[in-house]
Amino acid sequence: MNRIILILALFVTGCATSVPVAVKFPDVPSDMLVACPDLKLAPDTTKLSEVLPVVADNYGQYYTCKDNVDSWIDWYNSQKKIFNSIK
Amino acid sequence: MGQIPWMLSLIPDAILNWLYWGIIAVGITGMFAGWLGKFIPFYGKYVGILKPVGIALLVLGMWLRGGYDTEMMWRARVAEAEAKVAKAEEASKDANSKLEAKIKEKVKVRTEYITTVKERIVKDTQIIDAECKVAPEVIKDLNDAAKNPVTKDAKK
Repeated sequence: MNRIILILALFVTGCATSVPVAVKFPDVPSDMLVACPDLKLAPDTTKLSEVLPVVADNYGQYYTCKDNVDSWIDWYNSQKKIFNSIK
Repeated sequence: MGQIPWMLSLIPDAILNWLYWGIIAVGITGMFAGWLGKFIPFYGKYVGILKPVGIALLVLGMWLRGGYDTEMMWRARVAEAEAKVAKAEEASKDANSKLEAKIKEKVKVRTEYITTVKERIVKDTQIIDAECKVAPEVIKDLNDAAKNPVTKDAKK
């Protein structure tokens, strides 16, 4: 009886065999995972010199977000190329 | 039935290899002994058993050898695939490092540039405000343009 249990246990253990090769989903640089913030609003003022810095910041913000999108495109293309090289 | 190959995989490959060759060798020996036995008088009564046993062992040995070679081929393929995956993961990390450095450089250049522009605005404050007075409508229109129409806040 003990021998039968041992043999059965060995047979059941064989079912634990896993898939030998698994490809991990590639990581993304943490800087790219930041969402674009809303644009800044100008203060209630009659002075143009107080409005201009807000406009300048918003322009800067646009280019930061543009770079983020460009980075995602770069990331996708490079990772796709690497992934295809595995086949 | 996957358990039997798995249990066989617990035995070292070199031992399995020799075992399978041994079965084939015994099978061939049995077959020949069965054929030669016909000419040996006192041996003749075993011929009837030796020949089918030899053939059975030869077939079994060939089958096991075939399975062993297939197993080795798959192991080689898995090892090759694992090496490719490891290489790809390394390449992925390298690509990410380069991209990260590029992003940091761009952010640095832009921050410096915007700071310079804002410093110039501060320096030119008197000139800018001297002949220009911004109407309240300009601020409202400008802020409305800055709002994102698809968010809740913009609808207020």
